[in-house]
Amino acid sequence: MNKYQLYKLLRNNESLKERRHPMFDKNRFMKFLLIFMWLYYAAILLFMGVTMAIGMKGAYNGVAAYHVLDGWFPIVLIIDFWVRFIMQDTPVNQAKPYTLLPIRRSFLMHVYLLRSGFSLGNLYWGFMLVPFGLIAIAVHFGWITFIGWLLGWWLLCIADGFCYLFVRTLLTKHMAWLLLPIVIHGAIIAAMFVPEHNWLDMPCTILLNAFANWNILYIIALFAIVALLYYANFLLQNALVYNEISKKEEVEVKNTAKMSFLNRYGCIGEYLKLEVRMRMRNKTVKMQFAMGLGMMLLFSVIMYFSDVYDGSFMKSFICLYNYIVLGMMTLISIMCHEGNYIDGLMSRRESIYQLLRAKYYFNSLLLIIPPIILLPQMITGKMSVWMNLGYLFFTVGILFPILFQLAVYNKDTLPLNQKLTGKQGNATQQIVSLVILFIPIGVEKLATLLLGDPWGYILLMSMGFVGIITHKLWLRNIYRRFMIRRYINMEGFRATRNS
Amino acid sequence: MNIIIQNLKKNFGDKVAVNIDNFKIHSGEILGLVGNNGAGKSTLFRLILDLIKADKGTVRMTDAFIDINVAETEEWKDWTGAFVDDSFLIDYLTPDEYFQFIARISGKSPEELQQFLEKFQHFMANEILGQKKFIRNLSAGNKQKVGIMAAMLLQPQILILDEPFNFLDPSSQSAIKHLLKKYNEETGSTILVSSHNLQHTVDICPRIALLEDGVIIKDIDNSDGQAQQELENYFEISD
Repeated sequence: MNKYQLYKLLRNNESLKERRHPMFDKNRFMKFLLIFMWLYYAAILLFMGVTMAIGMKGAYNGVAAYHVLDGWFPIVLIIDFWVRFIMQDTPVNQAKPYTLLPIRRSFLMHVYLLRSGFSLGNLYWGFMLVPFGLIAIAVHFGWITFIGWLLGWWLLCIADGFCYLFVRTLLTKHMAWLLLPIVIHGAIIAAMFVPEHNWLDMPCTILLNAFANWNILYIIALFAIVALLYYANFLLQNALVYNEISKKEEVEVKNTAKMSFLNRYGCIGEYLKLEVRMRMRNKTVKMQFAMGLGMMLLFSVIMYFSDVYDGSFMKSFICLYNYIVLGMMTLISIMCHEGNYIDGLMSRRESIYQLLRAKYYFNSLLLIIPPIILLPQMITGKMSVWMNLGYLFFTVGILFPILFQLAVYNKDTLPLNQKLTGKQGNATQQIVSLVILFIPIGVEKLATLLLGDPWGYILLMSMGFVGIITHKLWLRNIYRRFMIRRYINMEGFRATRNS
Repeated sequence: MNIIIQNLKKNFGDKVAVNIDNFKIHSGEILGLVGNNGAGKSTLFRLILDLIKADKGTVRMTDAFIDINVAETEEWKDWTGAFVDDSFLIDYLTPDEYFQFIARISGKSPEELQQFLEKFQHFMANEILGQKKFIRNLSAGNKQKVGIMAAMLLQPQILILDEPFNFLDPSSQSAIKHLLKKYNEETGSTILVSSHNLQHTVDICPRIALLEDGVIIKDIDNSDGQAQQELENYFEISD
C-alpha cells in the first residue's frame, strides 16, 4: 500500500467513525436534526452574506462594501475558533488507535493535520462569503479580485483552525492554557470595541485587500504563517502522542479535602461532597465550568468597558446568561456523567433523589458568583440590582426546575475525564437550551411592561420563590418519573458508556 | 432472605439471555453460578438487582415477614449488596472516600466503618487505603477488591458478586473465599457468586447452578464437594 492509499484509508476511517458515532447510530432523529441545523445555519450565513452585500453597498462614503466586512474578520475568526470546540477533535486523539500499528507516527500526524486543514468545515464561512463576494466584489471589481479575496479568507480560516488545534492540544496538558485564547481574543475585542474607532480596521482591510489585488508578498507571507502553524502543530501533536504512550501518569491525588463541614447535613451532605468532587476531579466537568466562567467574565468586561451591550435586550440577555450559564453547562446533561456509575447508584435506595437534591443545592449556591461578576455593572448603574435579584430567584426557582426535567430523559453517558468530546446535545437538550436562554427575557419584559421597575422584577422573584420553597415536591416528582423510565435510561447509559 | 425466581425471561433481540421457570435460592445459602461466556450469569444478576427489565416473570425476595417484587419497590436495596462491574464504582473518589460515602449514606458510624475495614486488612494488603489514588487509577485487581468490599460494607442479607475472583492474585482469591464463608456463617446471609474458576466455586458453594443459554440446566448439590467432577465433565476439562 503506498502513502496515498494509506492516506485515503485513514481518512475513510475517520469518516466512518463520524458516521457511526453511537449517538447517531441509535438516534436517527439526532442525525437528521444535525443535518437540519447544519443547513439552517448555512441558510442564515447565506442570508447574512446577501443582505450585508446589498446593505453595505454605497453606505460608507464610497468605501467598498468588502472593505467594511474585512475590518471585522477577527470577530469572524474568534467565533470560528470557539465553535470548533464543539465540533473538532485533536489529531492526538485521532491517531491513538493506530499507534501500535505499523504506520509511522509522523505520517499519521500529517494525515490528520492535512485533513484538518483541508476539511470542508473550513469552507463553512463560504456560505456567507461567496454570496457576499459575488455581489460586492465580482460584479464591481471582477472575478480575479473576488477569487483573490476569497483565497485570503480561506487561508485565514485554515490558520484559525491550526491555532485552535494548537490550543486544544495544549489544554490536554493543563486547563490554564485556555487563558491564552481568552487573553488574545479579549485584547482583539478590546482593540476593536473600546476605542472610538476600530483599531484593527485598517490593518485587516489592508491584508485582505492585498489578497484581492493578488499582492504576491502578502500571499506568500500568509502561506508561510499557515505553514508555520502547521509545523508547530505537527511538532506538538507528535510529542504529545509519544507522551500519551510512554507517560507515567501522575496519579497521586493532590486534593483529598474531607469537607467535614458537610457532615452535619447527613446524606445530602455526602451527595454534596460527591458533586463537589465530581466538578473538581474530572476534566470534562472542570472544562465546562471554566468555559462558562470565561464567557461570564468576557461579557462582563465588554459590558463594563463599552456600550455595545447597553441596549435593553442585551442587558437582559447578559444578566440572564450570567445567572444561567454555569447551571446550564452541567444541568443540560444532568445524569449523563452519572451514567458512568449508574448501576452503583441504582443499587442504593433513593440515591438518585438525594443526588438530585444535592445538585440543586450546589447549583443554587454557585449563583453567588454572578452577582460578584456583575457588581461593577450594578455599581455603575448599567444593570439594576432588582434585575439581578429577579433573575437570581427566577433561575433558582423556575429555570433550574426546567433543566432538572432533563434528568428524566437524558440517557447518554458522557465521559468524565476525557477531553471535550464534541458530543452534541440531543434534540430535547437543544430545545430546552433555547427555551432557557430566551423565554425568560420575554417573561421579564412582559413583567416590567405590566408592572414597571422594580415590581416586574419582584414578580420574577416571587415566581422563583415559589419554585424554591416547593423544590422537594418537584424533585420528588422528577425522581418518580425517572424511576418509571429507569430501564430505558439505564440501557441507554450502558450502551453509550466508553463511547 | 430467600430469592424466588418465577418465569423469568429476558431476550436481547433473538438471543435468549435468561429463561428460568422456577428457581428458589434459600435464605443463608451460598449459590455458585457457572456457565460459559454468554450463558446469562451477569444478565441474571442484573435482573435480580432490577438493573434491566425482564420481558416476563418476577424476582421476589421473601422471608417470614416480607414478600416483595424487586421491580415494584426499593426496600430490598437496604439489605442487598452487590458488585457486578466497574459501573458500580465512583471512580473519581479514593477508596477511603468511597467507603466513607457508602457508610455515611447508609447511616453507619465511622467506628463501624473502621471495624469493618479491619476485617479486610489482609485482603487489602496495604494497597487500598491511604494510597491517595483515585479508584480509576487503581489496578484491575484493586478495583475488584474495592467493589467487593463496598458490596459487603453494610452487612447485607443478600450479597451478589459477579466473578469476584477476576483479576485477584492467588492470595487475595484465597482471602476472599475465606471471608465469604466466614461472612455467611456469621450472618446467615444469602450469597450469590458467579465464577469461571470451578475450583473456587466448588470450594465455597454448597449449591451450584449450571447455566446454559439462559437456562439452569443443572442444579447441583455440592454439600460434599461432589460437583467438581460433574462440572469438569460438562466443561470438558481433562488432564
